[in-house]
Amino acid sequence: MATGAGETGKDPVDVLIVGAGASGAAIAWSLLETRMRILCLEQGKHISDRDFPSRREDYELARYGDFSCDPNVRMLKQDYPINSTESCITPVNWNGVGGSTINFLAHWPRMRPSDFRTRTLDGVAEDWPVDYAALEPFYEMNDRNVGVSGLGGNPAYPPYRPELPPIPIGRLGWKLAQGFNRLGWHWWPSDVAILSRDHEGRQKCVNAGTCDLGCAAGAKGGANFTYWAVLERARMELRTECRVREVLIDPNTGFATGVLYHGPDGQLQEQRAEIVILACNGVGTPRLLLNSKSKQFPDGLANRSGMVGRNLMFHPLTGVSGVFDEPMKGHEGPMACSILSQEFYETDTNRDFVRGYGLHAGRSTTPMTYALGGYGIDRPIPWGEDHREIMDNVYPFVAGLTVVTEDLPEEHNCVSLDPNLTDGDGIPAPKITYRLSENTRRMLRHGEERAKEVLLAAGAKKVLCSDDGNVWWRAGWHQMGTCRMGNDPRASVVNGWGRCHDVKNLFIVDGSIFVTAGAVNPTSTIQALALHIGDNIKNNIANLFD
Amino acid sequence: MWSGTQRQLLDLILDELIPPGSDGRVPGAGAAGVADFFPSAARYAPDPVGAITTVLAAVAANSPDFASLDRAGRVAVLKEAESEEPDSFATLVRLTYMGYYSRPDIRPLFGVGAHAVHPEGYPVENGEAERLAELTEPVRARGAIHRD
Ligand SMILES: Cc1cc2nc3c(=O)[nH]c(=O)nc-3n(C[C@H](O)[C@H](O)[C@H](O)COP(=O)(O)OP(=O)(O)OC[C@H]3O[C@@H](n4cnc5c(N)ncnc54)[C@H](O)[C@@H]3O)c2cc1C
Ligand code: SF4
Repeated sequence: MATGAGETGKDPVDVLIVGAGASGAAIAWSLLETRMRILCLEQGKHISDRDFPSRREDYELARYGDFSCDPNVRMLKQDYPINSTESCITPVNWNGVGGSTINFLAHWPRMRPSDFRTRTLDGVAEDWPVDYAALEPFYEMNDRNVGVSGLGGNPAYPPYRPELPPIPIGRLGWKLAQGFNRLGWHWWPSDVAILSRDHEGRQKCVNAGTCDLGCAAGAKGGANFTYWAVLERARMELRTECRVREVLIDPNTGFATGVLYHGPDGQLQEQRAEIVILACNGVGTPRLLLNSKSKQFPDGLANRSGMVGRNLMFHPLTGVSGVFDEPMKGHEGPMACSILSQEFYETDTNRDFVRGYGLHAGRSTTPMTYALGGYGIDRPIPWGEDHREIMDNVYPFVAGLTVVTEDLPEEHNCVSLDPNLTDGDGIPAPKITYRLSENTRRMLRHGEERAKEVLLAAGAKKVLCSDDGNVWWRAGWHQMGTCRMGNDPRASVVNGWGRCHDVKNLFIVDGSIFVTAGAVNPTSTIQALALHIGDNIKNNIANLFD
Repeated sequence: MWSGTQRQLLDLILDELIPPGSDGRVPGAGAAGVADFFPSAARYAPDPVGAITTVLAAVAANSPDFASLDRAGRVAVLKEAESEEPDSFATLVRLTYMGYYSRPDIRPLFGVGAHAVHPEGYPVENGEAERLAELTEPVRARGAIHRD
């Protein structure tokens, strides 16, 4: 039940969730059975699949306007600006019901067991207070709710089997797979939150190739199509165009009492709640906590550890392309997902870096995006005769590999509040301070060399690689680590089930609680964690605040 | 917006930024009518008309008779304008690519459908289970590669 303007909403609710994206929707679903009164506040709106730009003939233009993944380009009412001038990567997102799963690309790998134990195994970062085995049932549960296609038996993981068969890996997938096989390296058809066949009333993927422009087919497992469909049928209360400014606390008990938020008309309102759950993603959540200052928490709510906003991790990435002698039809099929190699995922002491990376074969893209430098890059190809040559003789024949590296947590990479910039409601905007570590640079270089080898082994006539040491700019798709989990309240913000050490009725469920980033897309883990946290809340309901 | 002379000059410039294909199949950006896109491009650049007018002025100042130059001569003049007005020139290039490739009649020349991609999408064969089993066999045969 979505409501808009005019709600006063002072009546206390049992559970208040801030953010209607991937994690907010998943935990709402988990708590639905408790019959508690749940309310979700979301700063954005619903967007109907009829309004997705892929239904327009000039659909590619939307990528550079209203449907850009970059809020600084979109600048819609529901967006908040992000100051990324001190970062080599800018965060991207979607603000609205479904959150960033509206424009996400639905690549759905799980994190691997070693990702949760990097301190023990490799002496870097910290171990998580949960491990793969504990999350496994929640990965399963989430996959069932979302609808996942893939091929069982991937030797890179403990056994599991996606419910639906894999989506077509496409001509470029076949080519590259043969290259990996020639080198004797691991690869596997990508797990995807995309339907390879009609499933539970949803339509299968039509291979439109524009997953970032919403999915007008409803085949992509965005929270708008999956969890929210159920939540709305259950008439759970969702208030859109409501932007939370601050989480309030009781100075005597130290418990959260609710939030202050701007309604659709900009007016400030209070909403009281017994439990507050933050699901604003790895940038939005620390921003909100840092903006919730009080006598008890002068440096931001739940920030006695000083870790709120710190340890920001992305997945820095770069790409290498091969030019083949037949058209690769890379614009056909889900954009980010064909095959994934995890040959170089784990630490190997013979290399000059620790941890590892994945080689992702997505598809290529549409002509405009290619001419403008590629998705996530803003570096147009040359004009003139070179342009002709590239578009006629390179673009149709290209297959690429993206090197997606694990980013290790470093305290100086952080989200803070910008002293000058604000959003439309006057709330301070987040500022990103981020630089690549030497470890990451080495990984990227290593990955580029291996990608070249694969492309040549697959039969590429020519390999294209920028070799300039730059990572993709508009590729802050994954925002993690800024309110990390841990058992030690001095070094972490939340415990092993998302409860803030400092405020016992305040929970965080989005990617900010990640301890490490792995080298895979995070959303299947974000949602599995949200379900795990929901489960713990339900199991501990009698003594939740002890 | 632009005088007749300016528009002629703009079309010539556009045909150098994205030149026509040698076999006449693919039109240049000028002939494709990309200039008509610019006035409505304010969503994609702060002041498209201003930037383009700046480039037109720079080209006209450096070469009063651009039309009479051969291709190499035109390119040389454009490179000069690019170095004198890098920001405006970059805006022109970017918007030219956007105006050109957003046209449904242009995309098929590069193997991409003219149609809006939803609801139709593209037919992609999916009868690949056996072939996939065969291709993944060596990967399976090497055994588990995860650390627990
Ligand atoms: C272009 C793109 C491609 C991606 N591709 C992939 C992929 O292939 N695979 C993958 O795993 N992940 C991908 N991601 C990342 C994925 O979308 C995110 O990991 C996931 O959505 C994060 O879930 P979340 O709940 O933490 O945040 P979100 O889904 O971003 O939801 C946060 C919500 O909180 C709301 N909010 C924030 N602040 C406030 C406030 N103060 N008041 C009220 N509401 C607020 C926002 O409006 C938003 O709706 C991609 C992301 C993008 C942008
Ligand atoms: S390619 Fe498939 S998943 Fe992606 S938007 Fe189109 S139908 Fe949806």
